[in-house]
Amino acid sequence: MSAGMLYGGDEIGALVFDIGHYSLRVGYAQEDTPKAEIPAVVGVVEDGNSTATLKTDGMEVDEKKTDPSSISSMSDTKYHIDTNFLHVARKGMEVSNYMKDGMIEDWDLFEKVLDYTYAKCIQSESEFHPVLMSEAPWNVRNKRERLTELMFEKYNVPAFFLVKNAVLAAFANGRATGIVVDSGATHTSAVPVQDGFVLTQAIVKSPLGGDYISMQCKNYLQENDIEVVPSYLIGSKEVVKEREKARWVKKRVPEVTTSWHNYMTKKVVQDFQASVLQVSETPYDEKTVSSIPTVHYEFPNGYHQDFGSERFRIPEALFDPSVVQMRGGLVGNTMLGVGHIVTTSVGMCDVDVRPALYGSVVVTGGNSFLQVDYNHSAEQLDIGNIIVQGFPERLNRDLSVRIPSSMRLKLISANGCAERRFGAWIGGSILASIGTFQQMWISSQEYEEGGKGQVERKCP
Amino acid sequence: MADVRDILELERAQTPEITKEAILGPEKVKRKPITTKVSKRPEGMHREVFALLYTDNKDAPPLFPTNTGQGYKQLKAKLGMRRVRPWRWVPFTNPARSDGAVFHHWKRTTDEAKDYPFAKFNKQIPVPTYTDSEYLQHLHNDSWSRQETDHLFDLCRRFDLRFIVIRDRWDRARFRDRSVEDLKERYYDICATMNTLKAGSSHDTKIYVFDADHERRRKEQLKRIFERTPEQIEEEQTLINELKKIEARKKEREKKQQDLQKLITAADCQAETRKSEKKLTKKKLQHQIRPRIDPNVVETAGIKFPDFKGSGVSLRSQRMKLPASVGQKRTKAIEQLLQELSIELNPMPTEDICTHFNELRSDMVLLYELKTALATCEYDLQTLRHQYEALNPGKTLLVPSSISGNKEAPRNYVSTESETAKQKGISEIIDVVGSPGTPNLT
Repeated sequence: MSAGMLYGGDEIGALVFDIGHYSLRVGYAQEDTPKAEIPAVVGVVEDGNSTATLKTDGMEVDEKKTDPSSISSMSDTKYHIDTNFLHVARKGMEVSNYMKDGMIEDWDLFEKVLDYTYAKCIQSESEFHPVLMSEAPWNVRNKRERLTELMFEKYNVPAFFLVKNAVLAAFANGRATGIVVDSGATHTSAVPVQDGFVLTQAIVKSPLGGDYISMQCKNYLQENDIEVVPSYLIGSKEVVKEREKARWVKKRVPEVTTSWHNYMTKKVVQDFQASVLQVSETPYDEKTVSSIPTVHYEFPNGYHQDFGSERFRIPEALFDPSVVQMRGGLVGNTMLGVGHIVTTSVGMCDVDVRPALYGSVVVTGGNSFLQVDYNHSAEQLDIGNIIVQGFPERLNRDLSVRIPSSMRLKLISANGCAERRFGAWIGGSILASIGTFQQMWISSQEYEEGGKGQVERKCP
Repeated sequence: MADVRDILELERAQTPEITKEAILGPEKVKRKPITTKVSKRPEGMHREVFALLYTDNKDAPPLFPTNTGQGYKQLKAKLGMRRVRPWRWVPFTNPARSDGAVFHHWKRTTDEAKDYPFAKFNKQIPVPTYTDSEYLQHLHNDSWSRQETDHLFDLCRRFDLRFIVIRDRWDRARFRDRSVEDLKERYYDICATMNTLKAGSSHDTKIYVFDADHERRRKEQLKRIFERTPEQIEEEQTLINELKKIEARKKEREKKQQDLQKLITAADCQAETRKSEKKLTKKKLQHQIRPRIDPNVVETAGIKFPDFKGSGVSLRSQRMKLPASVGQKRTKAIEQLLQELSIELNPMPTEDICTHFNELRSDMVLLYELKTALATCEYDLQTLRHQYEALNPGKTLLVPSSISGNKEAPRNYVSTESETAKQKGISEIIDVVGSPGTPNLT
């Protein structure tokens, strides 16, 4: 028996896909980090350059020298996938996300991304690798079946399995029972997990996520007349004094679409958010916050200044939505803060499991603040890490006020940046390489016999 | 040979002497410089640290390796000696799977083909099955349809009797919502019926009985405890504290009462002994050595003078010295009383004077205690009366004369010797030292 089996593991060359609203994480099971993280946003150029080859097959892309990431379809549409290709200014490139509400919405785009993944990241044939995929806990039946169908019919995978990402996140933290607090890009959710099964009736979601914080940041910057110029526009810049107007020269770029421009602007805001914002450990208080040192931030166009109390005020909305004065469509007072989400969710569960749930509150997610670009310096990532550390501590404080004092409360969150960012993927990596799991896969034989309905039965 | 010599006691003296010199002699010379060298403590080294070193050196470490078997070098060489066992990416089937799907994993070519090692962990929880006729005959229930029961058993098999998950995945579109207890009740009910059917007439099989009502009540209680608001918890806490306070007060009152009771009995006893004593003293005063009062009484009231038995030579005046256990307040009271009675503070310590003086002072303390107790009692009574009047305006509390604090009671107890004459003066003293709120009843 091999050494791997000695520890309960048996690797069968499975692939793990963690499909998130922000990005798709992919890699081999039994590894500790994914091989690649591909943004869930795809650049689409309609009626693109006719020099592009007209091949749909992902494997053909390799031979094409001009732009290996671009996958052209019959209708002359070019798709630009992955950060490096997405961040190039192109004429008429619209960006769109294939995800909606944590579920796959645009299947064509998703297929393109999968093609790209197999061709460029995995670089192996799909029929040799069983696939484990994550899904939102509220995924609907027809989408699960469609995904199963896609994997078996188009990619000919030998076996397939779908797991709810909350379960995977709990597994990654060594728990089979617990409540998973996932603060992602579009929303923050609390998902109770018991013995590896999600209690679907007690899921609580709130639209307060990373995107919401980004929006708040943007509003704040607009109000303070700080111009946010995406880096692609900047040709050169001069050093200016603090709070002085930026002096920069615009780069000559092709005519870009508004959606792409907005996407790039959002990137800057997200960087600002990751570098500057911090969760205060106690409810927001102007006095205590003003005593904390300010953080200096320089925008791509050279403008720079110190940021003080707003660093804490903006993320405070996650915990206490009523502090934010309302603009636009979102009404803060009616939304739930993170602590409230957790208590509501646990309150809907059976009384017998409540102590176990509070006993392991797993904080995970591309935790809204973690959504930083990879091209950042280590220093900036470090700052991002500090911000994240505020989140579980604050949640711990909020929860301990809310729940009965006799209840044991324990918050679990991975310390490392990567562990928390890839929480669900790591859980999938663990699960797919466990020896006893190998009997759970939906095999291609089973799919042929039972059809796509198998997924409802076999992947609860 | 040495044994035989020992037994026969032959030339025993000679041989050891020779060997000692031959063997130990030169060794001693060798050893001495070594020990002196080692035993010298380097400057600055702590004694404790050195002691650790030194004990190690007392018997010299073995110079030769004792383990001549496998050294680490050989082990390393052996590892290299073995033939490389290649790994191969081979297909395997998992007996835990019903479809016979083939996966691949890495395996040593030398390992013999065995069953998939993790298949043995595939444990199934036995969920009973029933046939149509069995259902119709025994399992029919008005509140459960056949489809619903089937659905329940299907979920039980899929989720291995995790009833909370089963309830979560319950098909609410087809069937009405059921609580975890409802599901459990139905499931265990059917299990019990099936078991009895299978077991037939014999009652050997143990049947699990699920008490759904009890569970429901338990859950209800748990829920109530869980859903207490912070205010309710706080209220409960204050109530508990209040209860503790009340109990403490009750205990204190009881203790006070006991003390008082003790005092009263002490006074009774003392008065009686005094009476009998008086008769005694009148009869034979000269031979009275030490008329002591009942020792248990003295402990609580009065002064306990230490015995001077067998403590060598001492002055008799030492016997009159007040022990330290008498507090300052009491000492002062005694002094004042003595002054009032115009008795010397330190009389000539003859045998008789000694005993009588001590007795007198002991009685004084008792009187003092009684007075204080009376004062507190009266104070309490007065406050209670005020409270009563405040709560019931227009009414007055009539205290029965048996317990009201008139002066008859104390007089009865302590009307011995000359104290009665000075009653008024004493009460004044006590007023000064005792409770200030003593009502003026005289």
